[in-house]
Amino acid sequence: MSTQTETETEDIGDRGVIERVRASPFLSQLLSNRLALAGLTIIFFMVAIGLYARLFIDLQSVTQTQIGTNPNVAPPSWWGQKEGQIVTDYGTWAYPFGTDIQSRDIFTRVLYGAWLAIKFGTITVGASTILGVGLGILAAYYGDITDNVIMRTMDVLLSFPSLLLALALVAIFGTGLWKVVIALTLVYTPRFARVVRGAALKVLEDEYIEATEALGAKDPRVIVRHILPNCLAPITVQSTLNFGLAIIDIAALSFLGFGSEAGTPEWGLMLANGVEQGLLTGDWWWSFFPGLFLAITVLGFNLLGDGMRDALDPRMRETVD
Amino acid sequence: MISKRFVVKRLLLLIPVLFGVATFVFAILHLSPGDPARVIAGQRASEEFIQQIRVELGLNDPIWVQYGRFLMDAVQLDFGQSYQIRRNTPVKQVLRYKLPVTLEMAIYGQLFGILLGIPAGLLGAIKQDALSDHLTRIGALTGISVPIYWSGPLVILLFAQVLGWFPASGRIASEFDIQPITGMITFDTLVRGNFAAFESAAMHLLLPSLVIGIYSMALISRMMRSSMLEVIRQDYMRTARAKGQGSKITIMKHGFRNALIPVVTVIGIQFGTLLGGAVLTETVFGIAGIGTLLVQAIQVGDYPIVQGTVLTFAFLFTLVNLLVDVTYSYLDPRIEQ
Repeated sequence: MSTQTETETEDIGDRGVIERVRASPFLSQLLSNRLALAGLTIIFFMVAIGLYARLFIDLQSVTQTQIGTNPNVAPPSWWGQKEGQIVTDYGTWAYPFGTDIQSRDIFTRVLYGAWLAIKFGTITVGASTILGVGLGILAAYYGDITDNVIMRTMDVLLSFPSLLLALALVAIFGTGLWKVVIALTLVYTPRFARVVRGAALKVLEDEYIEATEALGAKDPRVIVRHILPNCLAPITVQSTLNFGLAIIDIAALSFLGFGSEAGTPEWGLMLANGVEQGLLTGDWWWSFFPGLFLAITVLGFNLLGDGMRDALDPRMRETVD
Repeated sequence: MISKRFVVKRLLLLIPVLFGVATFVFAILHLSPGDPARVIAGQRASEEFIQQIRVELGLNDPIWVQYGRFLMDAVQLDFGQSYQIRRNTPVKQVLRYKLPVTLEMAIYGQLFGILLGIPAGLLGAIKQDALSDHLTRIGALTGISVPIYWSGPLVILLFAQVLGWFPASGRIASEFDIQPITGMITFDTLVRGNFAAFESAAMHLLLPSLVIGIYSMALISRMMRSSMLEVIRQDYMRTARAKGQGSKITIMKHGFRNALIPVVTVIGIQFGTLLGGAVLTETVFGIAGIGTLLVQAIQVGDYPIVQGTVLTFAFLFTLVNLLVDVTYSYLDPRIEQ
């Protein structure tokens, strides 16, 4: 398979002409991967839902008990009726995902949950990417003691199973969604640091870095202009794959009771309520729908991340004869 | 061959890491907002009583004295006594009782993962890009995307509530009273020759282990597939084919051992995730292992238990990683260099 890179020149005025290598083989590879495309579609869909929920759904209305509209836990209105249920919406689409014990419409809550998942996922992944990339590049660039101090600390953090480390940090910070975000940021940072350090070390072997330094470029310039851009590919893959994990872990900590406050339409918490109060009575819709949306979102990120990794790994492009 | 030097070197490298881990665990107590003495004394205790507890626990000593004492105790696996959950019981004893529960589930889960994941991955590699390959790939990706706290409730609803094939929670039916030997209930019941109890325990364990194993299975099958595909492209595989070793199956056998190397790593790393997953699985299935113990301890501020469990988890995780490295060097002696 041909993997030629297209070069493109651009005139940028009196600063001269720069030659830009387009990432076209990567992009075309990615876009021809049907699974990755499916992942991208799922992510767009969930982001759209999240934005819609943020803009058009009133948080108050999905947090508070909806007294009077629907007196008890009801299955999705198209599904059927519970024994002794006094609702008139049977057979309609009034409550497509049913209602919970506080008579709240699970459908709108699930939609709002998409916003929370995307928002807190983005913050967690963003923060750990920035921290990890910074530490990884510093470790690779300065080597010696800097490298040792940073990477041994990362090793210590990596010697805990990730959810366990998050729990231990929650024990220190206390509970709440924001504290969960901080805990998980620290949990993921070492992974980014490792990946980036590895990539940066490879870049540092290249001669042009030496040339740049010989020309008198200062450390920050070498790092930002030369090392960072060449590490972007593995960083992107790691971030994408980590996104799914972040969404699962945030919800997991909420599920265990350390994340969102009672009443928040957050998927993990909704699942916890569904398991606590709906499982033994067989009220399946309660935990089914939040979990379904959660799993689909995570699947989206995993599909995309997987496709990216394949597109970046030239060995994966060959086919067996 | 495993060289002694390699193992010794790996063990020595462990020391600073374990030291760091212990330091972090020590910090949990001292960075946490709550006052341990107040947790022990209770809400309405007098100031003098709290002060007395502080002295007893040595919380008034300089921090480095406390740190030194913590390290000395930790080496002897002594984490003090539980504040709340099992008041005045040594943490060591609580862990001794709860750890086997979690380990048993994790081991069965890992077995499920290996037994289902390796064949699935091989199938994908043998018939690359066939329908079965795509299905295993999508299946694996779905497997790692579905959280345990969702698949757990779903299998409980289906297999326990609707179909009634398996019990929904717990470890064994209440009519059996098994005196623990190892604490691993399927083992204990077998050793005692109580087959009815064994059956009950196995039925209770099946759903949680399956749920916890799905994730392992997904990762193992993915790694098996890509590793096998890579091995197939190696020169020695071409040589094998050129020598006229007939069927694709024979060739697969040839490459299998080599393809297994990265899979072993995944199995090891996976074990950590499995331990993390145990916290969630135990919560969903109402199993009283160290996972639920940790969650409970964090909720009530029982720091010795938190420290003990976290350190135990980290120690197990590190131990498994060490075993993985040693196995790795056995499978591929080049690693040592």
